[in-house]
Amino acid sequence: MMKGLAARILLLCSTLGLWAQQPSEVVISATSGAKVVVGMAPVASTGLEDTLVAQEFTAVLQKDLDESGVFGMLRERTPATADAKAWSAAGADWLLIAKATRAGGGGFSLALQVLDARAEKGVFTKNYSAPAETFRTPGPMLRRTAHLVADDLVKTLTGERGVASTRMVFIRQVSPGVKELFQVDRDGANLIQLTSFGSLTLAPTVASDGRLAFVTYKGGTPEIWGQRKVNGPFERLYPNSKQEGLCFSPSWSPDGKRLAFVLGDRRGNADVMVLDLGSGRARRLTDGAGINTSPCWNPSGTQIAFTSDREGGPQIYLMQDDGSNLRPLTKEGAYNESPAWSPGGGKIAYVSRFEGKFDLFVYNLGEGKAYQITTGVSTSESPSWSPDERRLIFTSNRFGSMQLFTTDLSGKSIQRLSELGNCQSPKWTRSR
Amino acid sequence: MKTTKILSLAAVLTLGAGLACKKPEPAPKVDTAAEDAAKKAAAEKAAAEEAARLAAEKAAAEKAAAEKAAAEKAAAEKAAAEKAAAFKAAAEKVLVNIHYDFDKSDIKAADRATLQGIADFMKANANVKISIEGHCDERGTNEYNLALGNRRAAAALAYLKTLGVDEARFETISYGKEKPLCTEGNEKCWSENRRAEFKLKG
Repeated sequence: MMKGLAARILLLCSTLGLWAQQPSEVVISATSGAKVVVGMAPVASTGLEDTLVAQEFTAVLQKDLDESGVFGMLRERTPATADAKAWSAAGADWLLIAKATRAGGGGFSLALQVLDARAEKGVFTKNYSAPAETFRTPGPMLRRTAHLVADDLVKTLTGERGVASTRMVFIRQVSPGVKELFQVDRDGANLIQLTSFGSLTLAPTVASDGRLAFVTYKGGTPEIWGQRKVNGPFERLYPNSKQEGLCFSPSWSPDGKRLAFVLGDRRGNADVMVLDLGSGRARRLTDGAGINTSPCWNPSGTQIAFTSDREGGPQIYLMQDDGSNLRPLTKEGAYNESPAWSPGGGKIAYVSRFEGKFDLFVYNLGEGKAYQITTGVSTSESPSWSPDERRLIFTSNRFGSMQLFTTDLSGKSIQRLSELGNCQSPKWTRSR
Repeated sequence: MKTTKILSLAAVLTLGAGLACKKPEPAPKVDTAAEDAAKKAAAEKAAAEEAARLAAEKAAAEKAAAEKAAAEKAAAEKAAAEKAAAFKAAAEKVLVNIHYDFDKSDIKAADRATLQGIADFMKANANVKISIEGHCDERGTNEYNLALGNRRAAAALAYLKTLGVDEARFETISYGKEKPLCTEGNEKCWSENRRAEFKLKG
């Protein structure tokens, strides 16, 4: 993404009105410091309380735009009407005019018009709607709409969708020995518990269509369970029968038709396997000597990064999806684990033990070089890329218990996602 | 109840005989009939009493037998419970955790006696099956520790096999760092968590 951005960045152009027509040609740099100032005219609403709209739409959108890095919202001397000239005079580059309606039956729609305030010209218009059954209360509906609006604004400006509407799935310990799967919005709101097995649930993975897979100990030994259909029930995906071994570390292939996972045997070996969901057959990709674990796919589904201790401590290796062309990636340090291939394919984030602490690193495949992201004040684990490749979500115990954090790739902008403790194995997704 | 019925029947018969006769009948005949009825009633009463006595005796015998059986059952249960308790105590004494060095799965010299004790216990109790659970400390990733825990359980299994116990009597499982015994971030806690646990199966 950073590379993609850089390629497309020309300059901050003053003819903002052109952007909607040719968004890929005129792009602002996320790091230039120059931000497009957005003015939000008072939302005209029907069937909704103004305070709720202010709290769950306007304030949420404002926070999303602030966090996008490319927008800022005008907060002072804001005109009371939707007059573009007045907003332009107040300092707004873009003016957002929104009309929210909640029909008697509960159906919701928000008509959005985005104007170039100076040129008084349309940037884009879009109607956001939700049927009555989608949301039980208007608050979450307004909130979700604000995230979608923010992502559309970022897309219009930069050519790449923002991540305000993305979510995280992760594991949380609810009592000793009991861990369940949870989901939360990127901003830490809207926490939902997805499993209630009352046993260990581990290592979630999210397919590009939103299907989940994970490890569960609910039958005693660890098995891979998940969804065969979108929004389908959780069912056993592997093993097909008992006595296959211990199953760990599932990872959906990008096309959602295969699952890489790990099978541990009674001799202490662990191997990377690939399960074809259609046929139910699993194929062994590694050779059975030592530990091979933590498989993850490249975005095109042709290669797998994984961890192996075949030469001593755990190191990251790459191979083709049939097990051929095996080659080491990391060579420095005695403990490199948890590879996460970036959505653009050019980088692999991982965890490395450095001076007794565990920190996040990013290996840039083009340069053949690794960069340290976090620095050892505490343990940082389980990196997962944001869909726009600009940040990583990870777990850290810097405030005691393991909590969810995100960081940019400089490691300078670290944010705590929520105050929830005992969290592990987060996965950042756009598909849920 | 039965006796009362018989007596009323006799009374009705006597009354009926009286009403049916216009002339007085010779007294002895009446006397004999009444006497027979009385005798019959007495005999029936005696038979009933005998039956009741026998029933009571039978009930008493049955009660005694039941009490004896209950006592025997209780004694057997007590013996079984004592045996189970002794087995449980023996199992608890034998099935203690063994420990590992950081990032290692080698069996330590100090744990050999523990594993010998487990092997002896399994030889003395031929039906016993055991699950070997491998665990890790909090350092390192969730996924690598799950694989390391599996390797630790496998190392214990391999050692027990060399002591002559059939490996089919063991299951192995790994919990990685997911089920710590101790949650403090210090070496004492970590060394306690780097362990294999032995659990009776079924």
